[in-house]
Amino acid sequence: MSQSETPVIELKNVNKHFGDLHVLQDVSLSVKKGEVVVIIGPSGSGKSTLCRTINRLETIDSGEILIEGEPVPQEGRKLAELRSRIGMVFQSFNLFAHMSILDNLTLAPVDVLKIPRKEAREEAMKLLERVGVADQAKKVPAQLSGGQQQRAAIARALAMHPKAMLFDEPTSALDPEMIGEVLSVMTELASEGMTMLIVTHEMNFARQVADRVIFMDGGKIIEENTPDAFFEHPASERAQNFLKTIRDH
Amino acid sequence: MTQTSIRDMLYESPGPKAKKRIRFFTGLALILLAALLALVIRQFAVTGQFAEKYWSFFARFTTWRFLGEGLLTTLEAALTGSAIAFILGFLLMRGKLRRNRILRAVSTALIEFTRGVPTLLFIYFFFLVVPKTGWKPSAFWKITLPCAISACGVVAEALRSGVNAVPRGQTEAALSLGLTETRLFYKVVFPQAFRFVIPSLIAELVIVLKDTTFAYIVTCADLMQNAKVLISNYDAMLSVYLVVAVIYILINYLLNKISDRLALKLRRTAAEGSKA
Repeated sequence: MSQSETPVIELKNVNKHFGDLHVLQDVSLSVKKGEVVVIIGPSGSGKSTLCRTINRLETIDSGEILIEGEPVPQEGRKLAELRSRIGMVFQSFNLFAHMSILDNLTLAPVDVLKIPRKEAREEAMKLLERVGVADQAKKVPAQLSGGQQQRAAIARALAMHPKAMLFDEPTSALDPEMIGEVLSVMTELASEGMTMLIVTHEMNFARQVADRVIFMDGGKIIEENTPDAFFEHPASERAQNFLKTIRDH
Repeated sequence: MTQTSIRDMLYESPGPKAKKRIRFFTGLALILLAALLALVIRQFAVTGQFAEKYWSFFARFTTWRFLGEGLLTTLEAALTGSAIAFILGFLLMRGKLRRNRILRAVSTALIEFTRGVPTLLFIYFFFLVVPKTGWKPSAFWKITLPCAISACGVVAEALRSGVNAVPRGQTEAALSLGLTETRLFYKVVFPQAFRFVIPSLIAELVIVLKDTTFAYIVTCADLMQNAKVLISNYDAMLSVYLVVAVIYILINYLLNKISDRLALKLRRTAAEGSKA
C-alpha cells in the first residue's frame, strides 16, 4: 500500500541559484503520509532554502515540486490555497506582533477557511491547551518567552489542519532551556502521525523522532538513511566529518 | 519622557565634574533668559505696548467668542485636511508599492510633486485658478484642499517607511497560512506599519494646522483671519499676535504630547518583549 501511495511532498530534480551560488543542485526527495523526515547539514548547505521552496516562499529555477501529486501553483489563489494546507514553523517564530496569541491562531482559519469566529476561537483554545500556552492566549507575542512563542506558532500552523508541517530550524533562535519544551511538542505531533519535514541541528531529537534522515551539503543531498544507520554508520566522508564536528562540541 | 530616553542614548551618566559644569551652565542660561525677558518687558513698556487700549478688549466675551469661532474653523480645516491627506497619502503609498511600473511611476511623481511644491502655491492655485474653471469651492475648501494636497506626499512616504519597517517574517508567516497579498497587507502589515508611524503622522497634522494660517488669503474665517480682523479693529497688532501665538503653541504642544504618549506606549509593548 505505502508503495503506491502518492507522497505528500515530492521534489524532483530541483535546482535553484542565488546569483552565482548553486544553492540547490538536482535535489529530489519525497515525504510520505505520516512520515517524519529530518534534514541536517552544515549551515549554508541549502537545507533551509529547500524547506522554503516547498510552499514557494523561495522560487525554484528548474525541477518540480508536487504536493499530494499536484504541482505547486505559481501564484494567486491556488497558491494561497496550497499554502493553507501546509503548515510552516519559522526559526524566528513570526507571530503577528500586533495581535494577541488567540487572534494569531484564529486569523487564518476565519479569513482563509471561513470558519465561524466562535468555532475558530474554541478550536484555538484547545490547540493552545495542547501546546501548553493556553494561559497566555490574551497576551501579545512580545510578552511571551521564546519557547512559548514557538509553541504558539506551532499551534497557529495546526489551526489550519495542515496535511504536512514544515519546520525551518524551529529551535535555533531559542535559549537552551527552552529548546526542550518545543521539541517535546514536536515529538508529540510526530507520534500522532503528522507528516513532517524538519530542518534542525538537534541531533538527539532527529535520531529519536525521524523516520528518515537526509544529510545535505553544498546544495546536494549527500546521504539519506534511517536515523540509526545514519548516525551509527554514516556512509559519506562529509557526513562523517559533520557528525564528528558536532560530537566534539 | 521621550527626551529622557534620547538623552540616555546619547550620553553616559555625568560624573562629579560634569555635574558641576552642568549646574554652572544651567544657572548661566537661567540668568541670560531672565535678562532677555526683562529686556522684552522693558521694550514693551517703553513703546507703550502695555497701554490699556491694546489689552482691554480681551476682557470682553465677544472677543473670545470671535477667536473661538476662528479656532473652531482652524481645527475643522486642519482635521478635515489631515483626513483627506491621509486618504490620498494611503492611495499614493499603495500605488508606489505596486508591481505595476506605470502605477508606481505615477505615484512617485505625485508624491515628489506634492512634497516639493510649497503649500502657498497650492493655495494660490485654488484661490486664483480653480474658480476660473467654473467650480467655485467655498473659502473653507479653498484652504483645506490645498493643505491636504500639500501634506499627502509626506503622509505617503511616512506610511511607506512604516510598511518597510515591518519585518519580512510577518509577511512570510501570513503567506504560509494561505492569506492572499491583499488580505495580509490589511490584516498583518498595515496595522503594524501604522503603529510605527503614528508620531510622524501627528507631526504632519501639526504642519497642516500651521499651514491653515494661510486661510486669510482665501478669506476663510480661521483663527489667524479673525486675529487680523481684531488687529485692524483695535489697532492692536502685538497683543493680538501674542495671544494667538500662545493658542497655537498650546494646541500643537498638546498634539505633540499625545504623540509622545503614544510613542512611549508602543515602545513599552516592544520593551516587554525584550525583557521576556
